[in-house]
Amino acid sequence: VIARALTAPWNVRAHVRAWLTARLPRTDTQLLTQGNVYILPTRAGWMFALTLVVLLLASVNYQLNLGYVLTFLLAGSGVVSMHITHGTLRGLTLRLRPVAPAFSGGTAVLDVVMSSPSSARFGIGLRLLEAPASTLAWTNVAAGGQATAHVSFVPPRRGLHDVPTLSAESRFPLGLFRAWTVWRPVARLLVYPAVEVDAPALPAARPVSGATLEARRSVGGQIEGVRAYRRGDPLKLIAWKKAAQAIETGAELVSRDTSTSARQELWLDWAACGRLAPEQRLSRLAAWTLAADRADTAYGLRLPGIEIEPGDGDAQRAHCLEALALWSLATPGEHR
Amino acid sequence: VNAAALADGTRRAIAYWPGWKRLPREARDTMFLLAVIAWIVLPHAPHLPAWSLSLSAAVLLWRGRLALINGALPGRWVLIGVLVVAIGLTFWSYRTLLGKEPGVTLAVALMALKTLELRARRDAFVVFFLGFFIILTHFLYSQSMPVAIAMLVSVWGLLTALVLAHMPVGQPSLAQASGLAARTALLGAPVMVLLFVLFPRMGPLWGVPQDGVSKTGLSNTMKMGSMTEVASDDSVAMRIRFDGPVPPPAQMYFRGPVLTHFDGIEWTPIGLPFASPSIPSRAPALETSGTPLSYEATLEPLRLASVPLLEATTDIAPVDGYRIVARDDLQWLAERPVFERLRVQAIASTTFVLGAPRRPGELQDSLELPVGFNPRTLAWARAFREERRGASASGLAEALLRHIRKQGFSYTLSPGDYGRNAVDEFWFDRKEGFCEHFAAAFVVIMRAAGVPARIVTGYQGTDLPPVDGYYVVRQSSAHAWAEFWQAGTGWVRADPTGAVAPDRIGRSARLAPPPGFVAGTLDAMNPLLFAELRSTWEAFSNRWNRWVLNYSRGQQLDVLKQIGFATPTWEDLGVLLIGSLSALALAGAIWAWLDRHRVDPWVRQLERMKRALVRVGVPAAPHEPPRALATRVRATLGSAGEPLAALLDALEARRYGRAAAKRPDPAMTRDFTSAARRLRTLTPR
Repeated sequence: VIARALTAPWNVRAHVRAWLTARLPRTDTQLLTQGNVYILPTRAGWMFALTLVVLLLASVNYQLNLGYVLTFLLAGSGVVSMHITHGTLRGLTLRLRPVAPAFSGGTAVLDVVMSSPSSARFGIGLRLLEAPASTLAWTNVAAGGQATAHVSFVPPRRGLHDVPTLSAESRFPLGLFRAWTVWRPVARLLVYPAVEVDAPALPAARPVSGATLEARRSVGGQIEGVRAYRRGDPLKLIAWKKAAQAIETGAELVSRDTSTSARQELWLDWAACGRLAPEQRLSRLAAWTLAADRADTAYGLRLPGIEIEPGDGDAQRAHCLEALALWSLATPGEHR
Repeated sequence: VNAAALADGTRRAIAYWPGWKRLPREARDTMFLLAVIAWIVLPHAPHLPAWSLSLSAAVLLWRGRLALINGALPGRWVLIGVLVVAIGLTFWSYRTLLGKEPGVTLAVALMALKTLELRARRDAFVVFFLGFFIILTHFLYSQSMPVAIAMLVSVWGLLTALVLAHMPVGQPSLAQASGLAARTALLGAPVMVLLFVLFPRMGPLWGVPQDGVSKTGLSNTMKMGSMTEVASDDSVAMRIRFDGPVPPPAQMYFRGPVLTHFDGIEWTPIGLPFASPSIPSRAPALETSGTPLSYEATLEPLRLASVPLLEATTDIAPVDGYRIVARDDLQWLAERPVFERLRVQAIASTTFVLGAPRRPGELQDSLELPVGFNPRTLAWARAFREERRGASASGLAEALLRHIRKQGFSYTLSPGDYGRNAVDEFWFDRKEGFCEHFAAAFVVIMRAAGVPARIVTGYQGTDLPPVDGYYVVRQSSAHAWAEFWQAGTGWVRADPTGAVAPDRIGRSARLAPPPGFVAGTLDAMNPLLFAELRSTWEAFSNRWNRWVLNYSRGQQLDVLKQIGFATPTWEDLGVLLIGSLSALALAGAIWAWLDRHRVDPWVRQLERMKRALVRVGVPAAPHEPPRALATRVRATLGSAGEPLAALLDALEARRYGRAAAKRPDPAMTRDFTSAARRLRTLTPR
């Protein structure tokens, strides 16, 4: 946002907007109050006001007392609708769920949980501040309940980005006013390189030395035991039977500890990508990483300056993709 | 065959109709909006040309079918074509596109066509706003209570459709949406009442709406049968108090519009129906005799520029806000229609002669008859004249009145509909009617006999002599009589109704209209119940008239007096209005401001506990639940922290356990903070 405004210094509106947005504190849980919910009449609202003026003039000119009644009834409803529109957002809590990494050129999804401490709320739309109104994701929130809205967008390029500024709005009930809020979550979004389409087949894997193979085989990839839950453990690894007990006693969750069979190992190498441009090499390596993960083989990754030991599973995949995402970006997050 | 086809079509349509609940959301909302539109347009049926009704019905049905079968909307050019046709037909029907009727016709056509173009949100709003406008146009025809109720339902329907349009998620039920719409309108009702009571009433801003408002009193035109409504309306038209002698009731003629021009169907006045300030008015050539009467008249709003005053009022005191002058036809006219209660001090003489015409051609106008209407009456009148060759105008009038008395004419308030040659029909075939039939026949015959004559409308007679000195003239006393020109004297009043129903003139007892079917049945079943219902209804109706229909500047100032203004003025009204609106807005702002400190009570409780924990040296992150805090308290403080940990566990159970409570327990917070304080004093850090 800031960068764009700076490149176009004559665009005062964008400047002001960027300045206003930058002033907002970043938070993942936003309570909407009088202070951060804005409201203005919509075009339909102005049209409604014009209609009221016409109705009032007709009532005055034709001396219609019922015309006055109609005009003032509509005016009263309009005023009340302003309060209802504002009240639809006010008091609402927006919370951003942990953001899953996305691929560049793919779709990133932000899950926003809206919770209403009081009454039911209807017609709350959520979108990126920069996105057009047609991308609004609509939600109702039940009284005292929660609802999740999913905002999806296409992240620009790889790297660790700030989650874009979000905007929630409502026109309920009559559409005469639009109340909105602008929210800058503190969470960051990890964007992996774009996956190369129709990437060449994986390089050949090399078998590892026999001793390691034997040791691994003796356990056959079965459960060896449990360990404490680590952030990022896939759900299928959690020992759910023990989990209930653990929660009851206030203890931590436990995950299964598995050793995986690793008969062969595979190196995904920067140097093996031929004479491609750096970004394209990263794309190819990302595609290979996914392919290797699907093939369930152990694989390692070699980038200039980085070497990741062979391994497999979700953690390995995430580790490799993250390395690809952040490679040679001096300070992650600069590229916004 | 037609009926069978219709029945068949209806059956098929019913079989096709899946019911509100089964319709897909989009189709249901569209059908609902179409139903609301039909409901809004339907009461206009009597005022709209047949093609307009058929066009609207066809378009709405077509749109409904498209919604049901999920068909594609027609292209823009089709719509423009239909619109051009509608405009052409409107012009063909009215010879103009301006004015009330063409405007309503066009608005209805436009709204029906717009439903075929409901694509974007903007289109929907156009339909809504046109709908509000058409609702207003109903009040041009009638402001009665049933119309008001029907239009309230219309507004509710439109608001419901608006609310539905702004509930984009799921399939909200119609009941839910209409409940939300009703809530919005009800919460807005105080604003409505405030504005209605205090918004300063003013005169029309431009133009003089002659055709605008449906009137319950006199009007500037007369058609056969148009006065039945007045005759059965018992509301008060004016109250008269005489300062000195009181004239006999038979002399109490209150002169309203004078109708000279006759096109065969309708009688209309000649000249402007109001006193144009730019044209100096010609004073009547009036000679009076006898002692002048001084009186005070309080006139209810008649929505006419004509002020019906006692014949012949010679002078009136100036009236605040209006310039009321006498014209050469002895009418008192204001410069614009009077929409509020007027109080007039005046002097009159009931014995008078309205002399020489002041306007060239006045007598000629009073002789004209339309060609091709009432041929039998005209022939009869010529023969009547031939028989009395040489008789004066007065002599002819006497003979005519005698004829009416002798030939079995009767007075009735419900003579039924008359056809094109209404006077022929009345004079020869049916021989029954009320004042306007008699007056019209009299004037037509006099003119055909070569005597200038014209119709005068107004009121005649009052209620029984009052106890408090105020004579009450009711709308049911509306009357029409005739005036003919007697050479050498001037205009002479002749009341042919008096010839057949002397009771009607000079008495307070009037013929009551025959009861309708429902009233008749009720009356036969239980007269007492009927009387009670009637009196309740009348009381309600009176209140409606007083507080809604006739609420004007005078009443506004009365309201101000009631709430303590000694001498209220227009400015007070404005100040009060702006003041109370500001107070309301301020209250709304304060409410919203107080509301901003509203936090979920559970969150507030946990935050207070966390602050207390931090003070005793246990770190607490914002995201941590009570369970995690309890674990940490046990780990860092050991047994000393056990009370705190227990309370945290209790909080966890209270909020998330099996028997979770709805609200936090404030005692828990108190116990926790005091326990934390004790802990701090025991183990100083």
